[in-house]
Amino acid sequence: MADDTSVIGHDLSVGYERNNELLANISFEFKAGEIIAINGASGIGKTTLLRTLAGLLNPLSGEVEIFGKSKGARGEIGYIPQRLGLIRHASVYHNVMLGAKAGHTSEWFPFSSKCKVLTIEAIESVGLSHKLRTPIRKLSGGQQRRVAVARTLAQKPRLILADEFLAELDEETLNAVMQKVLDYVRESNAIMVLVEHDFERATQMADRLFTAEDNKLVEIFPMEDEVNE
Amino acid sequence: MNDYREDHELEEKPTPLLDIWYQWRWPAVFVALGVLAIFVTHSTIEGNWQKLFDSPRNVQTFFRESLWPPDWSVLEPQAYPVCEEPDFLQFTCSTAWIGVIETLKIAFVATIFGMLISYPIALLAAENLSPPSVSYPARAFLAAFRSLPSILWAILFVIMVGLGPMAGIMAMTLYTVGYLGKLQYEAIEGVAKPQLDASRAMGHGWFERSFGVILPESANNLISQAIFMFEYNFRHGTVIGIVGAGGIGYYINLYLEFLQYDKVFAYVIVIFIVVLILDLVSKIVRSMFKDDKQPNMPPWWTGLFLPAGLTKKLLKKKD
Repeated sequence: MADDTSVIGHDLSVGYERNNELLANISFEFKAGEIIAINGASGIGKTTLLRTLAGLLNPLSGEVEIFGKSKGARGEIGYIPQRLGLIRHASVYHNVMLGAKAGHTSEWFPFSSKCKVLTIEAIESVGLSHKLRTPIRKLSGGQQRRVAVARTLAQKPRLILADEFLAELDEETLNAVMQKVLDYVRESNAIMVLVEHDFERATQMADRLFTAEDNKLVEIFPMEDEVNE
Repeated sequence: MNDYREDHELEEKPTPLLDIWYQWRWPAVFVALGVLAIFVTHSTIEGNWQKLFDSPRNVQTFFRESLWPPDWSVLEPQAYPVCEEPDFLQFTCSTAWIGVIETLKIAFVATIFGMLISYPIALLAAENLSPPSVSYPARAFLAAFRSLPSILWAILFVIMVGLGPMAGIMAMTLYTVGYLGKLQYEAIEGVAKPQLDASRAMGHGWFERSFGVILPESANNLISQAIFMFEYNFRHGTVIGIVGAGGIGYYINLYLEFLQYDKVFAYVIVIFIVVLILDLVSKIVRSMFKDDKQPNMPPWWTGLFLPAGLTKKLLKKKD
């Protein structure tokens, strides 16, 4: 049943080889406004699941439904890969603008004042206004993470897929950036799926916590008792 | 757990023969290739090694009798048209100067046109941007331009548009498209995956991905390649001039026909000096686009006269 507010996996198997699925026959439904954290050991298939949801990998079997379709539409998915995927030789502004353009203009009309406003706002929100024209390669690891977050905020996607996006940030910046993203998800009723190794942080941020183990995705938080309570 | 360890211990147990193979496999491969090359040479020259041993003597005779000393009259102004430049600029009316400038112009224009034409084709040819049904034909297209050497293109265009720099520009441009296109699509394919992943996931189209993501990300490489291509085109500009496509090659061909090798030698020295200067300029320009500039680099001019290793040693001593 197509649901245009949820992200659904039906009997989904993900991986790179047909006989070597990393996660096999998993099913889930992520609803609008939910923040979902996934943790688990390295190489277990968390990133592969995110890539499948992002439409970068085809499922080995089963189906994915992103807001009622088999793939996200233009600008609907904001993806922050583990290595961020920023353009190292371009400025902070250019990188964030790419997010804004994905979400707010047609492919053939790249100039838009709305995009400019969204870009500046997003850069301000992560505290990098003074680095507007600085190339990414000249920023620290933590600043680069903030740019990646700003790119997603400027895009205003309905689904955010983030792969350890809070690594390398100092405590103060981490809290500020985390709050920005959480606020955005709550306000816009978006869905956020994040891979997070830090268990404590994952429970602090997420509404639902899954762990990937033995080719399965097991929901461990909220515990059933808590839900019942 | 024990079973696992036992299995791996068995696998990793070295045998003396295997040990020797792992230690010496690369030197052995190089020696084998060297021996193979010698055998192939032997069969190609039909065992006539004497020619090789005679060659230094021949070169010595040719150099002494025909090349040395170079005839520097090529740097003097031509008899006609009369040179109206002041004395210290008289050399600008010489055939060497006129030829070099024309070759530089041909190389410059061909590099710019070639780059502009090759980039869109390279985007189509890159496997990380286009499906195989598009990338393979685009690669074949570039390979077709590259498979004819620039001198053959020059002959073709001399027939089409007549003698002169126009034929040179057209020949060079086509060759640049083939050659630079290949370098460009390799640079594009070298763009890291996360950048493309993020762009694909966001939903960028081909146009945005090509010009918004790939172009800035590979810009350093593209600029570096274009500068290299300019240098390359200048060196080849001297060759295509020989078939009448303009530039300094035209004069070289002229004097070769009259067997005036001392003048040809003077031109070759001029070309060598220009290539050295171009190499230096391109080194400086490329260093502007490098990511990580190394501190304590030896001054730029030392590269002209001394090997880099030696200058570093000298600098260390000075410190």
